[in-house]
Amino acid sequence: MRPELERLHRIEQYLLSTSAATDWQRQLRLDPTLADDAHEQLRLYQALHEAGRLQLRRELSRIHTRLYGPRRTGWFTAATAGLRTVLLRWPRFRSRS
Amino acid sequence: MSTMSAPLKLLELPLPVQPIAPSAANLRQALLTNREQTLTQLYQRTFPMVRRHVQRHGGSEQDAQDVFHDALVVFYEKTVRGTLHLTAAPSTYLVGVCRNLWQREVERRRRQPQTELTAEDAARVVAEADAPEPRESPPVLEFVERLGAKCRSVLLAFYYFQQPLEQIAAEHAYAGIRSATVQKFKCLERLRRAVRAAWFPNENR
Repeated sequence: MRPELERLHRIEQYLLSTSAATDWQRQLRLDPTLADDAHEQLRLYQALHEAGRLQLRRELSRIHTRLYGPRRTGWFTAATAGLRTVLLRWPRFRSRS
Repeated sequence: MSTMSAPLKLLELPLPVQPIAPSAANLRQALLTNREQTLTQLYQRTFPMVRRHVQRHGGSEQDAQDVFHDALVVFYEKTVRGTLHLTAAPSTYLVGVCRNLWQREVERRRRQPQTELTAEDAARVVAEADAPEPRESPPVLEFVERLGAKCRSVLLAFYYFQQPLEQIAAEHAYAGIRSATVQKFKCLERLRRAVRAAWFPNENR
């Protein structure tokens, strides 16, 4: 990976607590901008978490609509919709509707 | 500059999975591999019971849906993180959570009953709407929503839905875990750059 991506990876390992705290302290001493970058990366993760929740809620709404949403028109009504449109153009049928 | 001496606690990130009961483990696996189908089955089994309870206790169909979605979001997050301890069927567990949530909502509404909008309230709302809003940097969430569909999907799959990298690689047509990892960090970098460009336009990092 490119050095910039390796850096993101290194910060992620720290944020996930998979790298030792002592090692992190050593890296902080060597790289004074690391702490700010880690803080910024943490905000990205929080936003991703929020976005994930929103997506899950959208998926749940779609499931709800599919299961309990407005009923679809039956096949007979759908199949004869075109015929009804044509018939309604005739004055004789229009008066009945 | 902020100091980061203490390790951060990030419950939202994919932490090492704790040992879980077999049924919760099976459910976790099902949610990770086929989220839509698993959630649909849970929905079909559980929502009618939740709706009946909420409607019998003064709520509407919409209230039931809101409460159920709140419960399902927490349920999903706990299950995929391996922190869910099931002692009953998932639907029983969810109904229990929904009952508690609805009870709390009923009490909240009792404490803060909706009041009618008075003329003074309306005037204040209009005045507030007319006042110029202070210009703030857009929240990071907006930049996530603006990411390309594939990048957004990869990042959410890993950081929120907790899917394994093998699955992410297969679903997004990457050659393997290594490739999926690189793509994930490239997308994270893209997100970070977008945020920095908007928040710190004069910085060149």
